[in-house]
Amino acid sequence: MDQVKVGVFLSDCGKQLSEILDFNALTDYVKKVSGVVLVGRSSEFWRGKGLQFIVDAIKDGKINRVVVAESLPKLSEVNIVQAVENAGLNPYLVEVIDLKDHCAWPHRKTPSEATEKAKAMLLAAIERAKLLEPLEKLEFSVLKSALVIGGGIAGMQTAVDLADLGFEVHLVEKTPFLGGLATRASRFFPTDDCAICIESPVSDVKTITHTSRKCIYRSGFSEIPNMNILTNSKVVAVEGVPGNYKVTIEKKPRYVNELKCVRCDLCTAICPVKVPDEYNAKLKTRKAIYMNIPNVHPPVYVIDESVCKFHDCAKCVEVCPTDAIELDQKSEQITLNVGSIIVATGFREFDSSIIKEYHYDDYPDVMTNLELARMIDGFGPTGGVIIRPSDRKPAEKIVFVQCVGSRDRRYNPYCSSICCMISLKHATLIKSAYPDTDISICYIDIRTTGREHEDYYERAREMGIKFIKGRPTEISRDTETDRLIVDVEDALLRKILELDADLVVLAPAMVPAEDTKELAEILGLELGEDGFFKEYNAKLRPTETKLRGIYLCGGATFPKDAPTTSLHAHSAAIKAVKFLTTGKIVKDQRTAVINEEYCGDCEFCPVTCPYGAISLEPTTEEHFVAKISDLLCEGCGVCVGTCPLNAIELRHSRPKQMLAQMKALMSINGTSKPLVLAICCSECGHTAVDSSGMAMMQYPANVRVMKVPCTGILQVHQFLEAFKAGAQGVMVVGCKSDGCHYEVGSQKAENKVELTRILMKEYGIEPERLEMFNMVFIEGDKFAAAAQTMTERLEKLGPLPTMGGS
Amino acid sequence: MKHGKDEKTTNLAFSDVISSRLGGETINLCYQCGTCASSCPVAKITPRFNPREIIKLTLSGEKDEVISGDAIWLCCSCYNCQERCPQKVEIADVIYALRNIAVKEGYIPNIFSEFASAILNDARVVKVSKFVETKRPTLGLPPLQPTGVNALRKILSATGFDKLQQKKEEAT
Repeated sequence: MDQVKVGVFLSDCGKQLSEILDFNALTDYVKKVSGVVLVGRSSEFWRGKGLQFIVDAIKDGKINRVVVAESLPKLSEVNIVQAVENAGLNPYLVEVIDLKDHCAWPHRKTPSEATEKAKAMLLAAIERAKLLEPLEKLEFSVLKSALVIGGGIAGMQTAVDLADLGFEVHLVEKTPFLGGLATRASRFFPTDDCAICIESPVSDVKTITHTSRKCIYRSGFSEIPNMNILTNSKVVAVEGVPGNYKVTIEKKPRYVNELKCVRCDLCTAICPVKVPDEYNAKLKTRKAIYMNIPNVHPPVYVIDESVCKFHDCAKCVEVCPTDAIELDQKSEQITLNVGSIIVATGFREFDSSIIKEYHYDDYPDVMTNLELARMIDGFGPTGGVIIRPSDRKPAEKIVFVQCVGSRDRRYNPYCSSICCMISLKHATLIKSAYPDTDISICYIDIRTTGREHEDYYERAREMGIKFIKGRPTEISRDTETDRLIVDVEDALLRKILELDADLVVLAPAMVPAEDTKELAEILGLELGEDGFFKEYNAKLRPTETKLRGIYLCGGATFPKDAPTTSLHAHSAAIKAVKFLTTGKIVKDQRTAVINEEYCGDCEFCPVTCPYGAISLEPTTEEHFVAKISDLLCEGCGVCVGTCPLNAIELRHSRPKQMLAQMKALMSINGTSKPLVLAICCSECGHTAVDSSGMAMMQYPANVRVMKVPCTGILQVHQFLEAFKAGAQGVMVVGCKSDGCHYEVGSQKAENKVELTRILMKEYGIEPERLEMFNMVFIEGDKFAAAAQTMTERLEKLGPLPTMGGS
Repeated sequence: MKHGKDEKTTNLAFSDVISSRLGGETINLCYQCGTCASSCPVAKITPRFNPREIIKLTLSGEKDEVISGDAIWLCCSCYNCQERCPQKVEIADVIYALRNIAVKEGYIPNIFSEFASAILNDARVVKVSKFVETKRPTLGLPPLQPTGVNALRKILSATGFDKLQQKKEEAT
């Protein structure tokens, strides 16, 4: 390698800093540091003439390492690094530090101390720069195709978006028909229009206005170019990496050829097998060959293999005019190669029979909202008439019970958020059609938080629907009249009521779809405590997962109404497009690298890596070594901190680079106070230091900041090295333990600090010399206070005994 | 004191007193759904007892009303409310915690006080009347044996039960 030639560029930010820091002294100091060949001074180095000066120095071959002291380094670094790359130097050989927010401003009252600290900071940057190594940029190919799991409105909407934008889309639906819960829900709030209505695909030539929306069955959904619909199908295995997933689908036989069926109904007419129709709340029967409702998609019958007599009967085969029925169809395995996967598996109703006192399983006249929706649907089993299932007489008195298994710490502690609206919608629809119906809604709190949602509540009250503030304790049946009795306290009246009812409608909690857990395991995704898929960041990245290329939408993350589901679906689609569109992932190599010679095959790192980037691979001699995927590695260094054999390093934060920095920061004191090393993570920790400086909060200049990617990278010996290098105390500053940008880093660092404190006792060092602080960016005051506290504590403790030995 | 000296806030801290006592830990979780009240066999027959209301009064810091009233003594300890509570509030246990405070502060209905005397004096929950004594032989039952009253008194004195009872008797 060429001889290291460092150029140091000192910006005084328009003379603001030179009022505090002695720039002549800094320049003289830096010039004498070995390896420094050029020192520049200007009012700014991140643009204009200053930046050109750096570029020229690189082009002239004068320098091959760049150290810039500049204000707002998190902004200016972007420009500087880009210019350096354009000038022909590897952009990873640049170190930018902040003499303003990290030195001049927080120590403005002690200018000479600040100048001495600035020298230490510059030396640390130079020493690190000298040890930096050029890194390559890596490219990984991305297939321009996507798999959407779940054919409800979320999955369908996302699939349409992606297909319309020209990507190849495979839509996998577990059941024989698309539409999910929506097709059963009949109507949606807040528009009261059909639930099975979706946005028209732009590829439909007869779509002339952007307001166009159509029923699923007439949307031409299956005819969208690039769209491959696989109903009756399930994802059974996923292999590969983001951009290149190999997905195995198991497609169950439909026994009806989708290309031949003309849905003439002859088969269902002749089929002799009758079973209760689950889809229609068992309020009617269906045949072994059936369709859920007439307007389903795909418009093709399916045979229920659990009840069909197949060749022992085969009457349908005889009558089918197009030979569409194929009783010998078998399950098939389909392999798909896709770049991205979108999970849209939705939610379902909680099983109300678990709450024994509501007797959902025992009394036919106790039903759920989704079952009631079938009765409200004109296509439904009763043609829109609301009946008592027990004797099929019209239901004149209906009681709704809210929060069945939701807001209940015994079952699901969360509020499902949509059930109040569903009950209000059902109550008002029934009351409009049958104004004489007596309807009561028993509630704990009515929650109508969306736009136009409160209107439903208002309308319901206007219509004379009764509201009872109380959660019923039990539903029983009067043995003489066969009517139901709901025991509830009206808390506002302070009266215990026994409401009689023809029909009791439960509003069950919405819980994750059936196979959610299994799918999460297949995909390597995490579930929250509530059992729904965990999003990467609920606030900023609600449709992303921690795995690049895998996205979530709709009820898979939490129960949602239709408008929110649409939003979510489009959001997931745009995230997937962003990922797929260039056909490649470009990543730099600031990743972890393993020294295979040292790897002890202990399996710690694969378990610890939050991104599943490490696997153990066999070598020739019955020995396994850890392999790190540069594609999956996010460069946090948690594996580095975990490896007991020091076999892993981050290419851009190697221990020797950190040690050099540490020694430099501790080499000059310049204050009468004990030196403190504050090791800050590059996310919240370091930014909190920025914000304390920006706000000119004062803390003593003996506190020196060192940045690491994530505090999870730190190892026990590094804390001890810091003491050996001259630190009297060490602060570790990271994100909040539940807010770590790399998920587990902060927690790992905390454990490491605890462990080191135990060891320190053994070595005769007071454990309170080392402490972990957790903060978010805006908590600059917390950093300043912590720095002050630490300094005062160390002053009380007195100097650290000199550490002897190695 | 957590909430300062102002009388109103001192009152509010009553819920803290309950939540820091055995059985009372879960009281703050109550969201007043009324499942307890509709589950309660006592509340069904008398408006004088409503578990939801007792919890609400306690949370609102209405200590005097709760402690001096007879409502807390009407709970029949069937634990129906506790089984059904969706927030896992240990309602019956909260009521025990309230009763304990009431007794400490000298509020105890006579009937309970009589039970206490009977236990202290005879180690029996029910006083043995002349009627019982004469009726037993006619039913073929043996005469009542003396109880281990001295041993029991030692225990009751160790727990401070006797002093509480004494205080109560002096007050009435």
